[in-house]
Amino acid sequence: MAITLWNLYEASLLCLNAICVLHEERFLAKIGWSAHQNIQGFGEQPTIKNQILNLVRSIRMVTRIPLIFLNILTIIVKLILG
Amino acid sequence: MNYNASSGARHPAQKPSGRKKKHVGDPSTLGTYTPLPYNPYAVPPVYDEHSAGPPPPYGYSPQDYPQQAPLYGQPQGNYGQTPQGFSIPSQLLNEPVVTNMAMQYGQALVGSGKQMVDRELGKYIPVSRLKYYFAVDTTYVTKKLGLLLFPFTHSDWSVKYEQNEPVQPRFEINAPDLYIPLMAYLTYILLAGLILGSQSRFSPEVLGIHASSALAWLVLEVVVELVTLYIINIESSLKTLDLVAFGGYKYVGIIVAVLLSLVFQRTGYYLGILYFGAALAFYLIRTLRIQVLPEGAAQHDPYGNNVSSGSKRRLYFLLFVAVIQPILMWWLSAHLISVPSA
Repeated sequence: MAITLWNLYEASLLCLNAICVLHEERFLAKIGWSAHQNIQGFGEQPTIKNQILNLVRSIRMVTRIPLIFLNILTIIVKLILG
Repeated sequence: MNYNASSGARHPAQKPSGRKKKHVGDPSTLGTYTPLPYNPYAVPPVYDEHSAGPPPPYGYSPQDYPQQAPLYGQPQGNYGQTPQGFSIPSQLLNEPVVTNMAMQYGQALVGSGKQMVDRELGKYIPVSRLKYYFAVDTTYVTKKLGLLLFPFTHSDWSVKYEQNEPVQPRFEINAPDLYIPLMAYLTYILLAGLILGSQSRFSPEVLGIHASSALAWLVLEVVVELVTLYIINIESSLKTLDLVAFGGYKYVGIIVAVLLSLVFQRTGYYLGILYFGAALAFYLIRTLRIQVLPEGAAQHDPYGNNVSSGSKRRLYFLLFVAVIQPILMWWLSAHLISVPSA
């Protein structure tokens, strides 16, 4: 039952890693999930799929660099503390 | 004494830092304050020896050491030995002008360092927004607790605004605050420790585990709500701290339900969870409806089309928030109720 903060941190790190490894050209374009592929009109509301893809793309752009350091840190901590 | 007069003008400015009295103690008056702060400028032997090398700001911390010499014999011994090579700079530092300048420089450094820390902190934690959430008083707290436990008779759920910002919780009972969630969270941790102690299941790690676990669930819930709000793309005036506040209100129900379980065992606990879950769900639906659902009819965009603002999505969001409250309340407290011995 006990989800500690450490568990939450590990789980979120894994999820962010998973989002960041989705490659834009090689993978998402093939499925048709690349962001801004279907440019929508101005007056329309963004669809849910577009919002999710925008979110994924933004997360990828923002967290790419800090994730490297966080991963290194977590690996070191796990090596030391098991 | 003219240098004392010129430095006396700066005295009020430097007064707030109480260290001025301490750091200029000569070793003969260890452990006592010198009443006149600028007296020892004439005789700063300890000041010389270890601040000749390092720049003045570093001189602050070693200068506290003479006061603690009775406790720390070793460092005092180190500082007591004069490196002979430093005699000339030490005489330079005997000059009152240089010491004044050095102290001013050190003061400026400390002040700017403090400013920088405040600025950086202000970027990550909105301090003024936090102050808004803690502007509560006793009547607000009692009325709010009553509202959380029995929201069915409350009629007016709107929040008064004042220049685009909600009125402080002190004056508006429908505004969310962070005081009640914080206190309820702490009470929940202590109560968990108490209950487990009464069942002989207590150990000190339990408190830490409960604190961490409850906080992790709160963070998870707030993140899921934020992502949902972004994805379904509804406009709302909900801020992150509002969501944290609404997430923290469930601890009030948990506390009362667990207390019921002390008296009435399992049935009391489940009845309590059901009732307080329903009450909290009702409260949240009523409160969030004001902020999330559109007040008027559908809005018009510049093209003259009727843009229905996704009222179905807003409703789903409300229902989602309302339904996870009893579930989380049960999840966080079910292990605390005592198993009645058959």
